[in-house]
Amino acid sequence: MVQFSSKKIGVLFVLLLAVGALYKLALSNQKVDYNIHVKPIINKKCISCHGGVKQEAGFSLLFQEEALGPTESGKPAIIPGDPEASELIRRITEKDPAERMPYKHEALSEEEIEVFRQWIKEGAKWGQHWAYVSVKKQDIPDFKNSWIRNDIDKFIYEKLKEQKLEPAVEADKPTLLRRLSLDLIGLPALEAISKKYLQDNSEKAYENLVDDLLASPRYGERWTSVWLDLARYADTRGYEADRGRVIWKYRDWLIRAYNADKPYNDFLIEQLAGDLMPNPDDAKYIATAFHRNTMTNDEGGTDNEEFRTAAVMDRVNTTWSATMGTSFNCVQCHSHPYDPFKADEYYKFMAFFNNSRDEDTNADYPLLRQYNPQDSMKLVRLTAWLKNNSSAELAKKYVDFLKTWQPTINSLQCDQFVNAALISSWFAGLRNNGTCRLKDVVLQDKTQLMFRYKTNFDGGKWSIYLDALNGKLLKTIPLPNTKGAWEIVSVPIPSETGKRDLFFKYFSPAIKNPDDTGVQFEWFNFDVPFPGKGKPGYGIALKMFDELMHAKVDETPIMIENNQDQFRSTHIFERGNWMVKGNKVEPGVPAIMNPMPSNVPKNRLGMALWLTDKRNPLVARTMVNRVWEQLFGAGLAETLEDLGSQGIAPTHQELLDHLSWQFMNEFNWSMKRLLKEIVLSASYRQSSAVTEEKLRIDPNNKFYSRASRIRLSAEQLRDQALEVSNVLSKKMYGPSVMPFQPEGIWLSPYNGEKWKMSQGEDQYRRAVYTYLKRTAPYPSMMTFDGSSRESCLPRRIRTNTPLQALTSLNDSTTLVISRSLAFRMKILGGKESINQISKGYEAMMFKPITSKKLKALSDLYEEALKKYKKDKNAIVRLMGAKDKPADPETASLVVVAGALLNMDEWLNKN
Amino acid sequence: MNKDAQEQRLIREAEHATLQMYTRRHFLKEGAMGFGALAFGSLLGSCGFGPSSASNTIFDASNPLAPKPPMFPGKAKSVIYLHMAGAPSQLEMFSYKPELAKLDGQECPQSLLEGKKFAFIRGVPKMLGPQANFRQHGKSGLWLSDNLPHLATVADEIAMLNAVTTDQFNHAPAQLLMHTGSPRLGRPSIGAWVTYGMGSENKNLPGFVVLTSGGNNPDAGKSVWGSGFLPSVYQGVQCRGEGDPVLFIKDPEGMDRDLRKASIEAINKINQKQFEEYQDPEILSRIAQYEMAYKMQISVPEVMNINDEPAYIHEMYGTEPGKTSFANNVLLARKLVEKGVRFVQLFDWGWDTHGTSASGSVDIGLVNKCRSVDKPITALILDLKQRGLLDETLVVWGAEFGRTPMQENREGKDLPFKGRDHHAGAFNMWMAGGGIKGGTSYGETDEIGYDIVNGKTEAFDIQATILNQLGFEHEKLTFESQGRPFRLTDVGGKVITQIVA
Repeated sequence: MVQFSSKKIGVLFVLLLAVGALYKLALSNQKVDYNIHVKPIINKKCISCHGGVKQEAGFSLLFQEEALGPTESGKPAIIPGDPEASELIRRITEKDPAERMPYKHEALSEEEIEVFRQWIKEGAKWGQHWAYVSVKKQDIPDFKNSWIRNDIDKFIYEKLKEQKLEPAVEADKPTLLRRLSLDLIGLPALEAISKKYLQDNSEKAYENLVDDLLASPRYGERWTSVWLDLARYADTRGYEADRGRVIWKYRDWLIRAYNADKPYNDFLIEQLAGDLMPNPDDAKYIATAFHRNTMTNDEGGTDNEEFRTAAVMDRVNTTWSATMGTSFNCVQCHSHPYDPFKADEYYKFMAFFNNSRDEDTNADYPLLRQYNPQDSMKLVRLTAWLKNNSSAELAKKYVDFLKTWQPTINSLQCDQFVNAALISSWFAGLRNNGTCRLKDVVLQDKTQLMFRYKTNFDGGKWSIYLDALNGKLLKTIPLPNTKGAWEIVSVPIPSETGKRDLFFKYFSPAIKNPDDTGVQFEWFNFDVPFPGKGKPGYGIALKMFDELMHAKVDETPIMIENNQDQFRSTHIFERGNWMVKGNKVEPGVPAIMNPMPSNVPKNRLGMALWLTDKRNPLVARTMVNRVWEQLFGAGLAETLEDLGSQGIAPTHQELLDHLSWQFMNEFNWSMKRLLKEIVLSASYRQSSAVTEEKLRIDPNNKFYSRASRIRLSAEQLRDQALEVSNVLSKKMYGPSVMPFQPEGIWLSPYNGEKWKMSQGEDQYRRAVYTYLKRTAPYPSMMTFDGSSRESCLPRRIRTNTPLQALTSLNDSTTLVISRSLAFRMKILGGKESINQISKGYEAMMFKPITSKKLKALSDLYEEALKKYKKDKNAIVRLMGAKDKPADPETASLVVVAGALLNMDEWLNKN
Repeated sequence: MNKDAQEQRLIREAEHATLQMYTRRHFLKEGAMGFGALAFGSLLGSCGFGPSSASNTIFDASNPLAPKPPMFPGKAKSVIYLHMAGAPSQLEMFSYKPELAKLDGQECPQSLLEGKKFAFIRGVPKMLGPQANFRQHGKSGLWLSDNLPHLATVADEIAMLNAVTTDQFNHAPAQLLMHTGSPRLGRPSIGAWVTYGMGSENKNLPGFVVLTSGGNNPDAGKSVWGSGFLPSVYQGVQCRGEGDPVLFIKDPEGMDRDLRKASIEAINKINQKQFEEYQDPEILSRIAQYEMAYKMQISVPEVMNINDEPAYIHEMYGTEPGKTSFANNVLLARKLVEKGVRFVQLFDWGWDTHGTSASGSVDIGLVNKCRSVDKPITALILDLKQRGLLDETLVVWGAEFGRTPMQENREGKDLPFKGRDHHAGAFNMWMAGGGIKGGTSYGETDEIGYDIVNGKTEAFDIQATILNQLGFEHEKLTFESQGRPFRLTDVGGKVITQIVA
């Protein structure tokens, strides 16, 4: 019953707000604002029949030109300046239910009708939803008092006054130390840093702490784990087989980028289009792995084009969701029902992404191939030779090819298989006398064919015919037995003209069983021969090229753009169905947004430059809002995933805009400066203790009259426990690790991959390095609302469940940590159990334990001690290793450590 | 789905969204941040929902599993959903096709292949006659193959769906469609929807339990029992036959129950102090969750223990305590619904009979698989009935798709064993109990079981029917995500009234 009334109060409250706004309007004679007054009524009462999906009577209120344009009747429903002549007013005031709008729904209230009337009278001015209007410099509210520390506080204070609330006092130093450390580096501060702060009583102590933490390499790890949810980063490919994917270098790129405080605009440009920037280095290529975190389907019989398309659409949706707080995916089927995006604009935007080389291949091509130091030197020598003996341009082309194996044509593009098949959906395979086709190959000026193939038979011959199976023979190529291993071969081909269909035929006299597959191809490359023939060193250069093509390399999936020969045109999908292609579209951005800057290319790079243009209304706001959410528990606009008109309106829009403006213009997109500005505010430093009155006026702390208490993320929980028990590995970077996980979590069909427990310190790495398998993520992380990274997750919803209690009580990692913590407590606290417990608490919370909490824990200690004194066997089992001191006192301390690790204040930021 | 229906749907959703903007979302938000002191009352088990408010189901983070009445009084209180992962051959189990026998070994007519896509069949395959004998059973005269002798004895409890169809012919997406309403990842599973809508009756057990057998998880992984965009508290809790029945349910080695109790008491005492200091109601919620965890530590192993079942029950189900088997899982399912668990989802892996091996063939492997499920499923129906639970427990049997009347010729080759490829076009599922009319059947396929003749049934219809039996209008059980309200049945779904009692 109690709950029911709280609900009622909520509804009432909202209603009052709405009515209040209308009354205010009527009383004050102020002008009608489209966004504040009109759009909410339209969204609520009109748009479902007169909007994006449905346009009854040819009338739509979604776009201005539609609303003011002629309807089915031939005349417009709204005549600006003349409400009485406007059909809209006649219909909403009509008495006849057959005529009255909203049709078959409750009539508009008098206030609502008055809003429409006044709005039309004032010219029916269309307004833009705030989130689609570029960020402007804000006026800072004029307040001065002893609480206010910076401009943020003035915005906060202004609203607090309106609510008749007072800010809270500053939290005590230990609380601030822990809060700030967890926020900035995701861990309790190192002893040196925390000691320095706690002993420093100067005015600058706090700011120094902020600087120390921002300079820590742990900072990059902490903020990377936030970005990974948006990037849907995982160590597997998803779908049924969910095989492994080696893409951790992207995660490391993020850590380095955050630690170097790479400006957020560059951070985005490099991830979206690093490959298209001038002379990209390896790091820029690896940044583009951002959009290679899409899932690929390895299941037999799947249509590669279907899943390529799904990946491209996911890139569009993720770009909008992660960087612009907009659920753009609605628009793939119809114009956005609430926000001003048109359906074709989705596909125009998709055209930016539709020309990447990836095609759902087995190897996850294209890959960045990174050589070991010795081979890298070889590549440098080869590059120098090519520059000297051909041209800089050709040298670049060959280096690019060695580093990416692009441009190549994947054999999965073959079709018309007869006595042949696309093996496992990836490789064109031919039996004896089998044939297939490779369509639309540009042969103009191409005199060399390079290809990757494998066969188990001797004496194979591959004939290529032009235009038809009985067409002109281009070339017959011998295919020596590779004993089932992939091999790369180059052969000269005669010069031909134009774009042609190639027909393949295979024969080997060694094949006896007609069912045997003779040869499988992976990719083809039609080009000119290696340059510099006849020049000194040609033989050595060619040999180096060949060796580098075959070298053992590190591979990371990256973005590479199609060249002109392989260009894909983009079409609208009718009602979102990729099989039904409509009109062709060119790359472009939605009309409602800032225009493409002049002088930028109409490709992914241009799109990235548009996105990070200061006129883009969404990008800075989205990131500022996200940073705020990480620190305060909820965004200034709570729906991080939707800043549009369906999102929850921001409580402090001016503050959001102020910080967004600063972020772009004063901080030059520096994340560290943004964070510093926020955490230096008095608003951030408040105590989280709450009074009955504050709870009553603002139960959810939307106005920041105190700090919110926030359950830590799955990552923070793991990391702080490892840190406080002295077992956390400081090792950074490298392949993902597999810490202890119970048996039987990984059971994927058709996939022999196993969770192989990491050894040594890799057991105790930070959570950001934990191997993430999409179909079976690390269980304790999932229990604490971690993400399975199948698609972009713009916001985690925190839950509070008994499974969380079970995990933090009983997970064997907890036991290991409890033991280590107990040992640390013994070192810190000396002989007396009371001291050990107090010191343990202090190590965790940076402050002394209260007597009542200490009593609860020492009672537990005494009870445990009674047990373990009687039961030596239990001690051995609790302590695991026999070589550790296994006295009843230590065992009891382990039990107490386990309890400490489950304290609510430990699981939360206070 | 036609254009009008889609428009209607979008409009309904748009209306819904706007109406709820200030209600459900508002509370979702408040719930996620902690309700404030008032909401803590809900932890004491109060329930302020009227019977019609379920369409506005509110997620309350401080007590997300509080039992909630459905939209209207449903016939079923709980569901046991048996999914045969890999897709069994309907042609050797339920779909009696004498004409197909006559065509055995003949080349498949071109007309059946045109415009069709198969997972593995290439070129022109041969037809494969039924590899089992069929007989009619019960008063209803239900056709069943001899692979299912036990099920034959309860033929009149069953409502057979003869013309189920899907548009997905690969395991993972087809399983996702069947359980989440979308072939792509990211949507909540049906069990999660039900738990979101109804909460949990048993305070000591999760509301949605998943049991798997057959050596592998289903192809689509845990997403088929995931919570998608619903709060994670609604995801299925996987209980295991071997090892800990729930992850981390067991106390650490060397810590006994008394000490665990003392330890949780100490934790809760400290948290109580913390609450006095900070007055944050979420702290009280955590105290309650630790209490629930402690209770689950006792109740879950208890309910998951089948050792103490009487011998006749073990005989009836064919169970062997201590093992992971489908039979054990079926018995556990009965125990769980008896204890008030809403949704028990079983997956049995190993039904993918392509003919590439003996165990993956329709004449050997399938017979063995049938043997392993026939007896326990029959026992479940009889056991529920004798306990008076069948009326309120909906049993659903199915898979992600069916198998082709053609013999598989992978990559154009004949395979060593008799097998069938994936067939999305037509297959069988059945339901029993929970207000379903036994002894009925619905839908019809052509004489070789390839195409549907009438009574087409889609995943959405099955989902709509399950929700209907529990008391939900499938179109109204929605949740807002990515800027619009989503529902399990996406844009489709009609209740299969023909089999509803």
